[in-house]
Amino acid sequence: MMDDSRSVTAPPGRADRTARMADLLDAARGGSEDALGQITAELSPMLWHVARAAGLGADDAGDVVQTVWERLLSHLADIRVPQALVSWLVVTAKHEAWRMRSHGRRQFPADQEWLTAIPDHATGTEEQILIDEQQRALWRAVGRLSAPCQALLRIIAFVPRPDYQSVSAALGMPVGSIGPTRGRCLEKIRVLLADERGGSRP
Amino acid sequence: MNRPDDASDQQLDDFDFAILDGIRAIFEQIDPMPADLPERVRFSLALRGLETEVARLVTEEDSRLAAARGTEQSRTVTFDSASLSVIIRIEESKNGSVRIDGWLAPPQRRDIELETSAETLRVASDDAGRFAFGQVPRGVARLVVVGAAERDQSGGGPTVVTPALVL
Repeated sequence: MMDDSRSVTAPPGRADRTARMADLLDAARGGSEDALGQITAELSPMLWHVARAAGLGADDAGDVVQTVWERLLSHLADIRVPQALVSWLVVTAKHEAWRMRSHGRRQFPADQEWLTAIPDHATGTEEQILIDEQQRALWRAVGRLSAPCQALLRIIAFVPRPDYQSVSAALGMPVGSIGPTRGRCLEKIRVLLADERGGSRP
Repeated sequence: MNRPDDASDQQLDDFDFAILDGIRAIFEQIDPMPADLPERVRFSLALRGLETEVARLVTEEDSRLAAARGTEQSRTVTFDSASLSVIIRIEESKNGSVRIDGWLAPPQRRDIELETSAETLRVASDDAGRFAFGQVPRGVARLVVVGAAERDQSGGGPTVVTPALVL
């Protein structure tokens, strides 16, 4: 197999998915509630994780997801290509989450609390849920990343692959900034993961 | 000016994809989206309706000259859509921001959003159709009269958006 030696630029199904989202968008613009329903069903989990990564509690995160979709209705005409859709959604969710946090409307967990707290609808600790040792090592590595890298990778992990690039760009880490970039955060977690797997912890 | 981000950000390899897939799988287990959320979204979108009207700018009146030597400048802009008209008066204030007073005709209570490049401001109109944004940063913005289901006294209607305005 030569698979591991080439870098993946076009995951299978990419063209299909892009074409399908373009069709759904067209139909939604034409007034199809069913098409809009399919788009929201597919992309709502991503928005949920954007809101949670911004530190919102479960109720507020749900409200953010709802608000973003409502706002999309008045922007459908502006969004021509599926790539623009996904970045628009992620950026809007991020803004809405920040707005909600700054208004302090309800209680929200302190920064990164989601990383250590047991989510309200789960039972048991994360370590018990993550029975797979590979996953546990990855989880510990995530926990050792900086807060901005944790949030960025959590968001990117839920973005459909064809849109990684445009979303990374839209999240707007200015060139030369010391802020996180997708590549920098991934490099860090590779190092941390190697460390975790090397058994340096009990 | 158009320099690409650091090279490491350009290409992901299989291992990166595996890490991201792993992170997604973990969060799907420990903090999943509530199962009822898609249904809530579907419901709220259905209430709002898909039809959005785009309002046309019909008149724009600059009272800069009229305000003899007044320090404040204002202009009045009218937009029409099929279901309603929006009239707004834009006044410059001394601190460099802008105040917007608006009226909906026919008068009705609606949620009104002003989308600026930085944020979305939200107010609601009163029974007389009046609304106001006290402090708006200068720049490009547009108004959205948020669609509402028909209710008793306050008439509902589809979402109406205006073209972008330079404040």
